[in-house]
Amino acid sequence: MRMVGAKVRRVEDRRILTGNGHYVDDLQLPRMVHAAFLRSPIAHGRITHLDVADALALPGVHAVYTGADMQELCKPIRSPLAQGAVPEVFPLVTDTVRFVGDLVAMVVADSRYLAEDAVGMIDVEYDQLPVVIDYETALDPSVPPLFADLESNVIHTATKEAGDVDAAFAEADRVIEVEFSQHRIANVPIETRGLVADYDRGSGELTVHAATQSPQGLRLQLAQTLDQPMDRLRVLTQDVGGAFGLKGNIFREDFCVPIASRQLGRPVKWIEDRNEHLMASGHAREERITAQVAVTEAGDILGLKAALDMDAGAYPGLPFSAVAFTGVISLLMPGPYKIKGYRCDSRVVATNKATYVAYRGPWAMETWTRERLIDMVATELGLDPAEVRRRNLFEGAPEDRLITGPTLAGITTRECLDKALERIDYAGFRKEQEAARAEGRYLGIGMAAFIENAPGPKEMRPGGGFTGGETAKVRLEMDGRLTVITAQSPHGQGHETTLAQLAADEMGVPFDSVRVVHGDTRLTPFNIIGTGGSRAATWGSGATMVATRKLREKVLAIAAGQLEIDPADLQIVDGVVSPKGVPGKDIPLARLAGQMTLMPQTAPPGTDPNLMAEERFTGEETTGSGWSGGVHACIVEVDLGTGGVRINRWVVVEDCGRIINPAIVDGQIRGGVAQGIGQVLYERIPYDAEGTFMAGTFMDYLLPTSAEIPAIEIVHIEAPDDDGVGFRGVGEGGMIVAPATLTNAISDALAPFGAKVTEQYLPPSEVLRLAGVVPAGA
Amino acid sequence: MSERTVQVTVNGVPHEASVEARRTLTDFIREDLRLTGTHVGCEHGVCGACTVLLDGEAVRACLLLAVQVDGREIRTIEGLATGEQLHPLQEALRDCHSFQCGFCTPGFVMTAVALLEEGATPNEEELREELSGNLCRCTGYQSIVAGVAEAVQRVNGSGGTAGSSVGSDAQRVEEISR
Repeated sequence: MRMVGAKVRRVEDRRILTGNGHYVDDLQLPRMVHAAFLRSPIAHGRITHLDVADALALPGVHAVYTGADMQELCKPIRSPLAQGAVPEVFPLVTDTVRFVGDLVAMVVADSRYLAEDAVGMIDVEYDQLPVVIDYETALDPSVPPLFADLESNVIHTATKEAGDVDAAFAEADRVIEVEFSQHRIANVPIETRGLVADYDRGSGELTVHAATQSPQGLRLQLAQTLDQPMDRLRVLTQDVGGAFGLKGNIFREDFCVPIASRQLGRPVKWIEDRNEHLMASGHAREERITAQVAVTEAGDILGLKAALDMDAGAYPGLPFSAVAFTGVISLLMPGPYKIKGYRCDSRVVATNKATYVAYRGPWAMETWTRERLIDMVATELGLDPAEVRRRNLFEGAPEDRLITGPTLAGITTRECLDKALERIDYAGFRKEQEAARAEGRYLGIGMAAFIENAPGPKEMRPGGGFTGGETAKVRLEMDGRLTVITAQSPHGQGHETTLAQLAADEMGVPFDSVRVVHGDTRLTPFNIIGTGGSRAATWGSGATMVATRKLREKVLAIAAGQLEIDPADLQIVDGVVSPKGVPGKDIPLARLAGQMTLMPQTAPPGTDPNLMAEERFTGEETTGSGWSGGVHACIVEVDLGTGGVRINRWVVVEDCGRIINPAIVDGQIRGGVAQGIGQVLYERIPYDAEGTFMAGTFMDYLLPTSAEIPAIEIVHIEAPDDDGVGFRGVGEGGMIVAPATLTNAISDALAPFGAKVTEQYLPPSEVLRLAGVVPAGA
Repeated sequence: MSERTVQVTVNGVPHEASVEARRTLTDFIREDLRLTGTHVGCEHGVCGACTVLLDGEAVRACLLLAVQVDGREIRTIEGLATGEQLHPLQEALRDCHSFQCGFCTPGFVMTAVALLEEGATPNEEELREELSGNLCRCTGYQSIVAGVAEAVQRVNGSGGTAGSSVGSDAQRVEEISR
């Protein structure tokens, strides 16, 4: 039976359902001690006094480290992928704190309890400095830069222009200008950050157990900053309790803990608490765009101009800073729509806030801006938003191109839109909406489209894109079982299941005979991203498939030699090699592998008895358009008494090519939509004008629960089965398009009040303001 | 720091230990008893990942001190399966692909066990309300609701209506247009 395409039960579930998972905080090593950090209570200030003597004197405390110690113990942190202006940064601050939660000192003690006691005994005083907390201050050239070695708080500017933007605007009947603002939110995996560093004084080896998306990325960065030889530096990652982009970052704490372990010669554990997590792990999404769209009265979109500002927080993200995502935003903003001219100006600023991190579809501002704009165009012109989309959407014809360059041949956005509107009964809903309005009930419908280059058409990824593709290793064990070693590093996506499905089919062995190994840098191939960017289904799958195919060729060559038959006449079914249609000549893989391992000298001439294959996948075998995408539609009812928004229906029509495991794909989509709903209705990271952080608990930072998230209906546009790698990334799409879908629906519900939704955060107070129930500013 | 002796039965096994008065029940279970299946997600009683059964009632172990459970009985996620045989709830959650990263899982599982053992047969809306004290960041909850509904139906019989409505939804979403 073919495993690919089947709703196979997950390999991971038995252990996580029985409490037998291995998360980093589960690790207890002999002689292990515990770290806690002293963090800045103010947004910006110079340390005028720092005395750790009392803390150090507390029984059970082993060490207290300050920024001055770190300058002695490591090099400045430099990303191999740094973009924009990069300041010199050490793991702990050397003289100036730059956000609430910034790292001042680290205590290492016998228990976390004692470590926190000692943190409270550190004597520190600050000279407060003026804060940079909003775009205007950050952009003001007269305001001193947060980092003395940078010239400005504007750390990056860029412009992308395509087509003839002036001509497009000159041709327009109207130009509509809107200022959109997306608020600061946070990834908030249920497992916080954490690591255990274990330096062995005998071998000089540093082993780091980490909750990370990228063990190899962490290893590379640790080697650089700690000057630790890479042959004595191993990162291990087992189960990770969610990440959503956050744990693809390498954090300053990640350097402190191994440094302490190396100094003390014993294992050091640090597990972040939730308050630290909300305050200091990293925040996402704070962006604004002033957009101008040039249209005809008939609803043709001719041109788009956008000015993007992004708030990167205080420190550059590692290895990818906020700057990396401006390029994707400006590349994708026109989306699957035809326009004639386009310009996007980007600026990234530093502020006294926690560092900007990637969060599931970090470029999603482009989709929100575009899809909100289309609805506003429709309102302004008195047209139907579905019709404006149909009028301007590409067909996916061979000659169709995103105005910024890449081919859109084969995209299915139009089909997705039609199916979504049919599924949600768009025409029927409009009648229902009218009837409801007559009764004083406010229903609304929203729709939005997105495309994502996951992996993108071939022309966007020559040689395998910026990572040069991805490598996997596959080994046939002596008992005939298959070990797949992947460069992916899953944290909930179920790769132990999906990659095993692929390898089982490619090799011809039972699904249960495949073990997928990840998260050990001694074994796993290098991949700076690990798992992220919707790359597993595309690059991780492709690598697994080409490596398994290579191994299968080796096996068939050996069996063909033994049977004196053409390899093309052989098959492997259920772990047994046999000539097609000739019974009685079976060679079980266990027998073949056992023989080749124990007696490689018996390998037939010209064959390779080493039953391991390591192959780099560069995307040559990738089939299909390369564009993942789809259309979501939802129906809401807004309660003008409370300002509450009830989501009555949510329909997803999506195209991620071929599907490896439908249950896993649906789970990715639903999880993303839930995060998008949370982002619009519940979640916001607030700072006050002094830079004080205002959401230190889950009573302040609200996550949606099972009572708020609706059932999500999913329709797949699935590509036909072929011999290639026809799977496309599906991790981010739900989160990318959900805020646009939901804000469009709320806007539609409030249309009778002339509401203009330009702020993405729509808690009850904002909904009531938009409806005119409470006055602006109330 | 003052220590107290605590006698507690965990998953049927009696334990006696001397603990600091300030030691949380989660640290006691995870570090002292080495039952790391119970997870710590927020340490302030909101996320529910640390949910265990205390004398049969679902409680947040992060809000309790170890000294508070003296003389009482605790069940954790490790106590559900019998050898290799999964609890029917665990089977149902596995069949429904209920979870992804697994970190919130112990809390949902123990909350749902308490519900099952009460003999509850909630409809979908009631079930969503019952589970709303546990946070999951991965799934969007639908798969968890479906899994618990399935378990309710398998264990407490067809009195529960959530199974049928979520089940039919699960069928609806199966449509794959080729």
